[in-house]
Amino acid sequence: MSVDADAAPMLNSSSSDQSSTVFDLHDLNVYYGSFRAVRDVRLEIKEREITAFIGPSGCGKTTVLRCLNRMNDLIASCRVEGGIRYHGIDLLGADIDPVEVRRRIGMVFQKPNPFPKSIYDNVAFGPKIGGVKDKATLDEMVESALTKAALWDEVKDRLNSSAMGMSGGQQQRLCIARTIAVQPDVVLMDEPCSALDPIATARIEDLMQELKSDYTIVIVTHNMQQAARVSDRTAFFTAEVNPESDIRTGVLVEYDATEKVFSNPSDQRTESYVTGRFG
Amino acid sequence: MPPDVPAEGRGFRNTYRAELEQLRLQTEMMGVLVDQNLERVGRLLRDGDLEAAQAAIGADDAIDAMNVSLTERCYEVLAREAPVASDLRLVVSVIRVISEFERVGDLALRVAKLAPDLALLRSVDRCFDILLAMSDEATEQFRTALRAWATVDLGVAEQAAEPSAWMELYYEQLLDSLLRVSGPDGIRAALRALVAGRAFDRIADHASIIGSRVRYLATGDPNHLAAEVR
Repeated sequence: MSVDADAAPMLNSSSSDQSSTVFDLHDLNVYYGSFRAVRDVRLEIKEREITAFIGPSGCGKTTVLRCLNRMNDLIASCRVEGGIRYHGIDLLGADIDPVEVRRRIGMVFQKPNPFPKSIYDNVAFGPKIGGVKDKATLDEMVESALTKAALWDEVKDRLNSSAMGMSGGQQQRLCIARTIAVQPDVVLMDEPCSALDPIATARIEDLMQELKSDYTIVIVTHNMQQAARVSDRTAFFTAEVNPESDIRTGVLVEYDATEKVFSNPSDQRTESYVTGRFG
Repeated sequence: MPPDVPAEGRGFRNTYRAELEQLRLQTEMMGVLVDQNLERVGRLLRDGDLEAAQAAIGADDAIDAMNVSLTERCYEVLAREAPVASDLRLVVSVIRVISEFERVGDLALRVAKLAPDLALLRSVDRCFDILLAMSDEATEQFRTALRAWATVDLGVAEQAAEPSAWMELYYEQLLDSLLRVSGPDGIRAALRALVAGRAFDRIADHASIIGSRVRYLATGDPNHLAAEVR
């Protein structure tokens, strides 16, 4: 499709030995001004898996997530040091177009944030920006994205009504449809269910399992049961407090198969957190 | 066994923590009741204490009731609190261990119920001596397992998990000597001695399973689960 044809060639190469690794973070440090928010994060995110970031508030998990599609570029005081390789390419490189990065690495936010437009226009927005003009192609892309987001059957008869009239759970699935309409490689989710009721949450979780066959998913969640239910790997972050300055810095404590993290974590701090002994 | 609680975390999920601690302690309590019955069975065999046998039979109802109520409470904790990591291992281990305790209780009861035939059992000297040794060994093995549960000490758990070589030897000796029993009541006596001997042998097996379970509880290593079905 034309969107792909226009893609920046820089992002296309991927060496075969790294084929299963989508992101390779090494010694990632993130600063807001002089304050170091995240220290020395190292982890590899695997292709077509769901990776969950868990940890108490202020531990840097959202900050790390936002590095993955260079959303932190939008914060003037933010500085990222260390490396993030995306399919072997330096994602932080000066020659990388952050807009192209965000097309390939989409994001779904905590609160559903549809545009105040029709359902159709919300989903068609990305492809249109990407240069798709043909109505039939757009129709096809909208249907495909809405179907993948498990929303098509509910909205196919009212594609032209406002997205603002949908329920919260539907709006969030619409945002997922909008994200996948541009055919990304990765979908980042920042607490995608925290504003939803349990049924809408269960639908999003089911949806994540289905999307996993096509996309790599990284999710930040405060709901540990959700991480245990949906993810293949779990990264536990916590905040280290400097006793002198009282400054909290996020560190990655443990990164392992989700089953391991929730049944027999290696680090005492992970054990304390997942069992609810601190949080 | 519960990891050190970081200072900033004290005060979270207090009801849940208290319930887990209660489950752990009451499982130990149940084990103590079983231990008392093993002691009573020992008194029956050693001293002919028929009252002890009667008390053991009476106490078994309490053991069964604890098994049911603790099982229900574990299910409730699983449903309501969705425990993970060491908490999950504790709850599933309680479920396993109380069922082992209950079995040990039943096996002890089998011997206690032989009380009316005590004279018959005693009539075959050599067998009876072996049974006394088996009773002591079973009680000892069970106590080690109970101590492992109470302390969650890996060393004690390993000791409990190790099958008793003595028990194996006694059981062989018992079978061997049963084959030599003769006389008019010989077969009746031998059948009863076999019931008691098998019960003690099985009690030692259950103690060993409890030991393996405590090793799993302490380490989270699923290899220890395999030892339970050996």
